[in-house]
Amino acid sequence: MPRLVIDDREIEVPEGTKVIDAAGRLGIMIPRFCYHEALGAVGACRMCAVKFLQGPFKGVQMSCMVDAKDGMVVSTTDAEAVAFRKWVIEWLMKNHPHDCPVCDEGGHCLLQDETVSSDHSRRRFLGSKRTYRDQYLGPYVQHEMNRCIHCYRCSRFYREYAGYRDLGAMQIADKVYFGRFRDGRLESPFSGNLVDLCPTGVYTDKTSRFKVRRWDLERAPSVCIGCSLGCNTVAGAQFRAVLRIEARTNPDVNGHFICDAGRFGYSYTNGGAGFRQRPREPMAAGAGIGREGALERAFGALEEVARKYGPESVAALGSDRNSVETQCALKKMCAAKGYLPPVFFLDPAARRKTCEAVARLDERIAFSRSELESADFVIIAGADPLNEAAMSALALRQAFRKGGRIVVIDPRPVSMPFDFEHIPVVPEAIPRIFGMIVANSIPGEGGGLDANAGKFLRKLDRRSEDATLQSRIEDLAAGLAAAKRPAIVCGTGIVDETTPAFAADCALLLYRAGKRAGVFYVLPGANSYSSAVLSENDGRTFADILEAMEGGSVRALVVVENDLFRNFPDTRRLEEALARLELLIVIDYLPTGLENRASVFFPSSTAFETGSTFINQEGRAQFAHPVHAGGVPILGGSPEHVFRPDVPGGGQKPAWSILHGLETGLSGSGGISAEEIIASHPAFGAIAPLRYPVDGVRVIPVQSKEEFTSQSVSGGEPAPPRGLRLLLVDWMFGTGEISAYSDTLLESIPEPVLTMHSADAERAGLLDGQEVALRLEGGTVEVRLRVTEKMAEGVILLPRHQNLRWQKIRGFPALIDPERIAAL
Amino acid sequence: MNENESRLGRIMDGIGGIVDSYAVTLKHLFRKPITEQYPEQKKVLPERTRARIVLTRDPEGEERCVSCYLCEAVCPTDCISMEGAERGDGRRYALWFRINFARCIFCGLCEEACPTLAIQLTPDFEFSKYHVLDLVYEKEDLLIEGCGKNSEYNYYEHAGVAVGFDKGEHPGEAKPVDVKSNMP
Amino acid sequence: MWWIVGFVVLLIKVAVVLGVLFGFAAGMVLVERKLLGRLQIRYGPNRVGPFGLLQPVADGLKLLLKEDIVPKGADRIIFFFAPAVVALVPLLIAAVVPFSSDLKIGETRIPVLIADLNVGLLFFLAVASLSVYGVALGGWASNSKYSMLGSVRGAAQLISYELSLGLSLVPVVMLAGSFSLVDIVNAQAEYPFILVQPVSFLIFFISSMAESNRLPFDLPEAENELIGGFHTEYSGMRFALYFLGEYISMVVLGALVAVFFLGGWRGPVLPPLAWFLIKTMITPVFFIWTRATLPRVRYDQLMQLGWKILLPLCLVNIIATGGIALLVRS
Ligand code: SF4
Ligand code: SF4
Ligand code: SF4
Ligand code: SF4
Ligand code: FES
Repeated sequence: MPRLVIDDREIEVPEGTKVIDAAGRLGIMIPRFCYHEALGAVGACRMCAVKFLQGPFKGVQMSCMVDAKDGMVVSTTDAEAVAFRKWVIEWLMKNHPHDCPVCDEGGHCLLQDETVSSDHSRRRFLGSKRTYRDQYLGPYVQHEMNRCIHCYRCSRFYREYAGYRDLGAMQIADKVYFGRFRDGRLESPFSGNLVDLCPTGVYTDKTSRFKVRRWDLERAPSVCIGCSLGCNTVAGAQFRAVLRIEARTNPDVNGHFICDAGRFGYSYTNGGAGFRQRPREPMAAGAGIGREGALERAFGALEEVARKYGPESVAALGSDRNSVETQCALKKMCAAKGYLPPVFFLDPAARRKTCEAVARLDERIAFSRSELESADFVIIAGADPLNEAAMSALALRQAFRKGGRIVVIDPRPVSMPFDFEHIPVVPEAIPRIFGMIVANSIPGEGGGLDANAGKFLRKLDRRSEDATLQSRIEDLAAGLAAAKRPAIVCGTGIVDETTPAFAADCALLLYRAGKRAGVFYVLPGANSYSSAVLSENDGRTFADILEAMEGGSVRALVVVENDLFRNFPDTRRLEEALARLELLIVIDYLPTGLENRASVFFPSSTAFETGSTFINQEGRAQFAHPVHAGGVPILGGSPEHVFRPDVPGGGQKPAWSILHGLETGLSGSGGISAEEIIASHPAFGAIAPLRYPVDGVRVIPVQSKEEFTSQSVSGGEPAPPRGLRLLLVDWMFGTGEISAYSDTLLESIPEPVLTMHSADAERAGLLDGQEVALRLEGGTVEVRLRVTEKMAEGVILLPRHQNLRWQKIRGFPALIDPERIAAL
Repeated sequence: MNENESRLGRIMDGIGGIVDSYAVTLKHLFRKPITEQYPEQKKVLPERTRARIVLTRDPEGEERCVSCYLCEAVCPTDCISMEGAERGDGRRYALWFRINFARCIFCGLCEEACPTLAIQLTPDFEFSKYHVLDLVYEKEDLLIEGCGKNSEYNYYEHAGVAVGFDKGEHPGEAKPVDVKSNMP
Repeated sequence: MWWIVGFVVLLIKVAVVLGVLFGFAAGMVLVERKLLGRLQIRYGPNRVGPFGLLQPVADGLKLLLKEDIVPKGADRIIFFFAPAVVALVPLLIAAVVPFSSDLKIGETRIPVLIADLNVGLLFFLAVASLSVYGVALGGWASNSKYSMLGSVRGAAQLISYELSLGLSLVPVVMLAGSFSLVDIVNAQAEYPFILVQPVSFLIFFISSMAESNRLPFDLPEAENELIGGFHTEYSGMRFALYFLGEYISMVVLGALVAVFFLGGWRGPVLPPLAWFLIKTMITPVFFIWTRATLPRVRYDQLMQLGWKILLPLCLVNIIATGGIALLVRS
């Protein structure tokens, strides 16, 4: 470990640390443009010059290019270094346009900061300024190439880090240009990171273009609730609107970046287009009613139903986008009033998959996203990383860049920005295949393993009847055998119920076999972890409640932040059941349509408006701090000239506070305390009361109670099903519950398509690109057909697309007779 | 000089000072007052007097303000607010822009901060109102037809963005780089 | 029957004195503003009526029509009555001031004062010290920190200067041999006491400036630190009472200075009443001149002046006067 002296202060850093980072550890910020922790050093900008006074060499050098060495004495303030940096700024400004007033970077621009701090204010250069033409780069990123200082951060991120090819450097010498070959949307779903990365205003956020300066934003650390990864963000609001999301560095979770859906999908909180969509005031039967009135009516009606039919006639439904606080408050309310305990899942299969995944996470095998980045062999089982948890694909890309081998076992035509092997099989075959890979990677009968592990290993199939598959498996097994840090990425969407537990057991087996192995689950929603923990001992789901509603034993339903009509696969049945209810109370911040059916509707606060905890898929509790107070945004026209004491459209309250009101009948800001959250489940003990709100604590146990208990998958190839199995799939854009209400994302949403294997299509006589009618039990879905070879035979894929009325499915697994798909 | 003398001296000094001041005010009593009888006598105020704020236009007649938020940031009383927007041709402008003159202290910092010479203080100070909210001026109330104190400056002529002037057409700019040719 | 006549005469006298005092107070407002203006090379009020002469009327109307605001949490009763105390005190004092030599109607001599108390001077001192209640209670009842600070300052200041005010009059009593103000005036038949008691005069003058809270001793009001001090929260007529009190007390103090030191109504050529008016006006005019000239003193300076300079000076003066009187008489 080299020890060196920087600005008269000594520090010891690990071998290979750059001097610029060593200074950073001392709190000395050496100016930089091209160096970035995640992207590494290229020495392109010459801004990080410091003077080496003693050590292996002397003189002015780039601190980002030099590894810290013993005996170095570095001065960042040496006159020569300072003068050098001043010249660098002057030559960068030689071509820099006079744009700051109209540049959205102004106010948080690195170049601006360094120009001001190096005191450069007069242009001495008499020559002309270099100019470039700009390009249209899609709806998110604005291009203004004149401002480029050639740090290469964009192309290094876009091409090397993220693995997309459509943006890069062109031309030579001082004419280097960063852009696409021709105008067009950036293909990468991580393109928003260019906005954060570019030290100047070449790439700026188009969704908030010209609307705000960084210094005016009310900013607070937040957490993205777009998927189960819980990427860390900084949200910024002005004029009662959230206007900009930036990535917040968290080495454990998202590193330095976030995906475009999370960055630009914020406008649901502002009320979508025109800010009008979001329901902002309490309503009864679709008509406005004051906060007090709503509470009085809802409380009275709940009491009434409980009195007439008994408290068990009241049921409650939460969701994965509830915060932990809300879920605990819901549980507490139901317990206190004797209502049926709340459910968080729609159907038993979803519950079981999530619960099993969550039950298996422990400190031995739970991989965080950053650990995934350094995995050297990754089996992706029944997951589509880019579509289900985009940032995990970026992590896998890093694993790939470090030489990791990645295999995807999934029926879908998975695509990711790197090379991987794809074994497209139907969902029921997934565990068997990765079980075979794992089994074949452990030589012999697993000598040296303990009894349980050995027993589990012996139960695994090793051989496939399919010779090509067998050789492929053996090849992969050889790779896995050589791996030191293998990972299993397991989805919880399309897979069979037993797969998540099986994935954990396989990871555990590899762990027992001496590898630093881990499992990385992709869960269905932002707070699925907490949903699963809280419904651990209660097997009921919304399916049971629905039956009870139909049977008349449940008369009142409280729905907390669940977009039922979007999520429930059978709209007709749902409508009929809802119609039988005597009382429907809805708490939500999205205009789900339920607010108009509700007997009483309460608007709740979004995560931007209230402090809320979310637990991500690896069991990490993260706190989203409130950013602003909410209310109807004042954008698009000057505010009225009136005095008023209240916030227009500020009728929302945190859902947990509303639930507290429903429990006690008292309005006010009471709610749920840290102690009550902890009392809700032992797992929440890590959210210690003294430290609430917690950020970044993992609530997983040291060792899971269950080991090698999964149903083993053996007994040969599963029989091919009769008919095509319909799988509902998620896309990065267009299927999310929250993103559906964010008009900022509209342009990204691709047209919905039904995807089918070419062999299946040929058998059914269907052609790629045809409009087809898919006849389901509940009605017909008309959709365009896409045919591909890169997927499994025997399945058809239908996205839960927001522009598609797909909610016509009676039950799962849904087997479709090919004859029910007809060309229009 | 011993201490007592100095104390006595100080006392005499003090008394002298008081008597002097009485004399001064007494003398003033017989001087002609210097008051200007506003509003009958109106003084012509210097051009740079800091009073009512206007938004000026550039020589082409376009709004100068580019909604850069600098005046808003520098304003010590936070009385300027605005929202920037993009016009069809890419020009950045203020969708709305308001100054709350009930709060403005006419310090002139906004004018100093403005990079486009859009916001300017004028010598017109006579605009009292009976209702405070009437002192909230919107862009329509602030925008004037002329250029104000500077009749030449056009910010977009000097910026690099392609608004009004195409890339490479602003004074002092080279032709845009042709990325598809490596000819020097 | 005689007592009815006496009563009527008394009523007439009271009415005349009240009317004159109120008139003077209103006039003083104008005089002060005009004079202050000229002393500062300004015009002073010149908009209402010819030369701004109707300004007091406008001021009065304005104050009458202003909303009467009672602050939240104020002690309403005390808040209502405190200003009255301040206005009442100088009026009461005016009862013992002899304005002129006795009026002769035929054989009857009517004294031109309301009550010739044989302890008139003590009465003045006793009543004058009451005005501290108006200041202290008004500030306290307003439930405002500024008022509170103002009234605390006011109370401390009034108490401090009360002492030298009283003591500075002892030599006067010694010289006149009576507490009756009429006797004191009569004792100055040959020469006004200012000639033999300049120190007393000075102390009395300074103390009365402090008593009436005027510059340079207006710490209880101190606009720039206390925003008006004890009357910060007052508005409308209640504020007007404080205002009125201050101006009446200026006039009354002027009258008292005339009585104690300038020989009262005595003087050659002009009728006694005219002399009295002229002498009465000297003090207020000097107050105004002072206001235009001197800045406010610091609080510690105020206290030092009162306790460390004026008070010892008074005592020395009394002893000296006593000594000289003994010498002269023996
Ligand atoms: S990139 Fe920075 S320095 Fe350049 S115009 Fe924009 S804000 Fe100014
Ligand atoms: S566009 Fe931005 S990130 Fe890319 S090279 Fe230029 S300055 Fe660097
Ligand atoms: S003059 Fe001063 S106070 Fe008024 S708007 Fe400008 S910066 Fe603000
Ligand atoms: S500083 Fe000038 S250009 Fe910028 S917003 Fe203010 S008035 Fe407009
Ligand atoms: S940061 Fe070191 S050269 Fe750019």
